Amino acid sequence: MEGTLAPTNPDDALLLAADAARLVLESGGETYRAEDVAVAVASALGGAEAECYATPTGVTISFASYDGRVHSIVRRIKKRSMNLERVARVDELSRDLAAGRLDYDGASLELGRIEALPERRVALFSLAAAAGAGFFALLFGGRWNDAVVAAAAGAAVSRIPAAMARRKLPDFFSNIVAGAAATFSCLAAGALGLASDADAATIGTLMLLVPGVAVTNAIRDTIAGDLVAGVARGADALISAVAISVGAGGAYWLFRALAPGGAA
Amino acid sequence: MKYQLTFALVPVWASLWAPLWAGLATAGFAVLFNARGRDLPLAALGGALGWAVSMPVRALGGSEPLACLAASAVIGIYAELVAAMRKRPASIYIVCGIIPLVPGGGMYYTMLEYVRGRNWQSMSTALATFLTAGAIAVGLAVSSAASRLLSLRRLGRRLSAGK
Repeated sequence: MEGTLAPTNPDDALLLAADAARLVLESGGETYRAEDVAVAVASALGGAEAECYATPTGVTISFASYDGRVHSIVRRIKKRSMNLERVARVDELSRDLAAGRLDYDGASLELGRIEALPERRVALFSLAAAAGAGFFALLFGGRWNDAVVAAAAGAAVSRIPAAMARRKLPDFFSNIVAGAAATFSCLAAGALGLASDADAATIGTLMLLVPGVAVTNAIRDTIAGDLVAGVARGADALISAVAISVGAGGAYWLFRALAPGGAA
Repeated sequence: MKYQLTFALVPVWASLWAPLWAGLATAGFAVLFNARGRDLPLAALGGALGWAVSMPVRALGGSEPLACLAASAVIGIYAELVAAMRKRPASIYIVCGIIPLVPGGGMYYTMLEYVRGRNWQSMSTALATFLTAGAIAVGLAVSSAASRLLSLRRLGRRLSAGK
């Protein structure tokens, strides 16, 4: 265990703090948590007057080392997804560092392990999407057959964002395509008599896409005083909602044109 | 159109199973959000609890934002307690627990009314949707302030130590 007499190399401490904050933001953690983690890591490793400024798209950290020099770093955040396990593990790491239960080497090793956490298998991911969409269809007043339709559509739609990301298409387009696919497949199932309440099935499937949590988190950030982060998250959520609506509305319009009288 | 400012989509008596569906839907989302291990059932329980709280509020004629405010406040307190007992960030249980409440249906009907050419209904649904999202955030803020005032963290730690 290193004490205050043999501090960690300040540049190493800076990189570790930056990576910890970046992981929190990339995994859908709150803005204040990313800032707290960075400050805790930097302070625990011997940085004085550590400050961190985080937004959903980037993080800036600075602190003074024992010799009085100021160190700072900027990290750009380019991908954002939800990984609650990662956020929890990074949070635990920062608390362990602050409490002295972990030294620099241990923390650096653990951070590498957290970053390398494997993704869930495709089959399990699709099953979870099917469960989410299906049970939401029930919750929105659908019957069992609507739930089955929503589950099938949900499992299929949940693959679209990953497939589009592999082709390097922006989220905006994958949201349009996914929204259209979800709406069209559920309305078609309704017209074929597979679903009795096509609206319930459609909403259930769209729940996988709509940025409900993002809107709520944007407002929470703003309430917490992270104004820039809150507004940025709100803009992100608004654009996703618009993209999904464009896709879903287009599919709805197309469906009515193809099947006059088929939809309400 | 059944979807107005107070948008009770489902008659409450229609299904007493609804909290179970909400919990299972939450479990699906918890997997999508990469929660793991014992966090999964605990997160699902939060979703079911929130829906169970929102149902009587809707039944008593409360608006959707009011129902979501009450439900998210309860979810927030539940999340703080579980988080203290398990020494994990409360946000795991918050983010999953509010999933059944977030106004996905509102966004869908906003789009639907617009495509049908009923701009006025579309705007009123959009307003209700935004109010609901805001109500959830306010409920969470209230519960986080309350848990700090009542020192729920200490209570949770004592509960887990007594186990």
